[in-house]
Amino acid sequence: MNILDIRNLSIVLVSGNKRILAVDRVSLSMKEGELRGLVGESGSGKSLLAQAIMGVLDEKWIVDADRFHWRGTDLMRLSVAERKKVISKDVAIIFQEPMSCLDPTTTIGAQLEEAVDDEQLTGYFWQKKKQRKEAAIKLLHKVGIQKHTFCLKSYPHQLTEALCQRVMIAMALARRPMLLIADEPTASMESTNQSQIFRLLASLNQLKNMSLLLISHDLENMTHWTNRITVMYSGQFVEAGTTKQIFSTPFHPYTRALVDSSPYANSKLEPKSYLSALPGSIPILQHLPIGCRLGPRCPRAQQACVDAPKAKNHHGHLVSCHFSLKETY
Amino acid sequence: MLIFTLRRINLFIFTMLLLTLLSFSLSKLFPGDSLINLSGQINATAEQRDVLAEAYSHNDSIIHQYWAYLTHLFDGDLGLSMASHLPVSSEIMNLLPATVELSMVSLLIAMAIGIPVGFIAAVNHKKFTDNAILSIAMIGYSVPVFWLGLLAILVFSIQLGWLPSAGRISLVYEIKAVTGIQFIDILMSDNEYKWQAFQDATAHIIMPACVVAIAPMTIFIRLARTSMMEVLDTSYITAAKAKGLTFWQIIYRHAVRNALINVIRHVGLQFANLVTLAMVTEVIFSWPGIGRWLIESIFQRDYTAIQGGLIALSSFIFIVHIVTDFIYAGLNPLARDRKHGA
Repeated sequence: MNILDIRNLSIVLVSGNKRILAVDRVSLSMKEGELRGLVGESGSGKSLLAQAIMGVLDEKWIVDADRFHWRGTDLMRLSVAERKKVISKDVAIIFQEPMSCLDPTTTIGAQLEEAVDDEQLTGYFWQKKKQRKEAAIKLLHKVGIQKHTFCLKSYPHQLTEALCQRVMIAMALARRPMLLIADEPTASMESTNQSQIFRLLASLNQLKNMSLLLISHDLENMTHWTNRITVMYSGQFVEAGTTKQIFSTPFHPYTRALVDSSPYANSKLEPKSYLSALPGSIPILQHLPIGCRLGPRCPRAQQACVDAPKAKNHHGHLVSCHFSLKETY
Repeated sequence: MLIFTLRRINLFIFTMLLLTLLSFSLSKLFPGDSLINLSGQINATAEQRDVLAEAYSHNDSIIHQYWAYLTHLFDGDLGLSMASHLPVSSEIMNLLPATVELSMVSLLIAMAIGIPVGFIAAVNHKKFTDNAILSIAMIGYSVPVFWLGLLAILVFSIQLGWLPSAGRISLVYEIKAVTGIQFIDILMSDNEYKWQAFQDATAHIIMPACVVAIAPMTIFIRLARTSMMEVLDTSYITAAKAKGLTFWQIIYRHAVRNALINVIRHVGLQFANLVTLAMVTEVIFSWPGIGRWLIESIFQRDYTAIQGGLIALSSFIFIVHIVTDFIYAGLNPLARDRKHGA
């Protein structure tokens, strides 16, 4: 059963009189215990989508969806406050640059303790303080931090970036979430720390049956950890399928280009040959092409591409392209 | 924290040395005999002059003269006032507490009202409340303090008759000056009319303190507003939202402290401005403070008083500066173990 089911979610940026469609009808669904990757270049609206799911976008952004279900509850029918309540109970998020996501003037201990919600605590209020502290120490152990006394009384700037990300994960685990959204959790981290964080996330996914939505622009790591992948480009849905489908038989020209540009994901690459890349760069929000936004950069673009294509389902492999590469395999 | 304290003390000592250097050079720069400017004895006979020249090492090099001046300063001897022939130090000791009292009360009013109002404006950003607060702050900032003082006297003292227009306390109360700070003295005295005296002193301070507080308050409003808006935009606030905290929990636990840090930084800077306003206000409200005395001394060309008042006022401002630095360090863990920077 899908725990998260999103159809045609759009996010509009209102600035002055202008309305910019930052995310254009993206669909995403998550099964229980699934580890899904969300891939796209920077500026493709991945983080926006994650923040829209969490309901933490500010008033500048308007979120609308045909279908936005969380475990059978239609979230679009609820008010903003109710939606936030439902979501923050079961869904947690960790961000990139963990150090800036921790309050610099409060100790890690205090921040961790406030993340533990009251329902997990028993007894009277004077007993709760101690319980909170114990819960915080347990959480730190869960994410592999042994020196809990040092960590609890430190301020964020006294810890390393990787340690801060572990603390963020601990904070996310405090509410025992069913879904954890990891928004580029390892950006600007050393590669040893990167793999440690990914291993921690993967083990949490397996041991606690917690679904994980891993957002990254890094295809290399995706192949190792994820079951399924959704690809986005410039705020539009591109392709979704199992990791194997995406990497061995990408249907969309953009996914094809992504795979070709990565020496790890593209195993068919000849030694010492050039990596191929699409010409140009991702369009800025003020100058978005009409129709399929890949149009100007796409090697297979034709006249029909000025109309945005609808997503087509080929045995669970969704692709949104008029001229998909399906026939070429 | 020890190193932080040592650094502040170091800074204090060197700034004070520079100040004494300035005030010493003033005695040379003012017209007339520099020895008379230092000691203030305008009618000295030839013998007295010789004694003074000996005491201030006036026949030695300029470094000796400066050293002699410093020794006198540390002995608490700032010379005699040229106008009143009283020791400048005792005049300052009589007058400075009144200014300390007035400026501290104004600072408290300005902070206690300005900072929360600024936070409220930031929380209601782009709504009517925000615009209203901002425009009122703009008006408050533009109003000249002397005009406001006169207007306040006209309305509250003369037309409505609610508050007294001049002085620190009514003459009927006899309070022995121990610390010089009126409120502490009243509370320490064993007068049976203590509470009436307290009320009377409060009634006297309200109007001048509010008049002084208006301009700094509007600055605090704007500082608090910008700083709160910056904090609300940071990613740790977004992260706290995602954690499931309610809006007021976020404001109370995370936003207020971080926003306060930025405001506290500016309090020390604004304080110098506030003291200048207090000097003008003292004249209007006949407040027996050092500002009024200093302005009068300037009119009377009382050079010793100008030098002494300068040192007293600037050390007071500097001490407040250092105290705010300590509060800043207490609130901000990042500042506590910083290695460099003043």
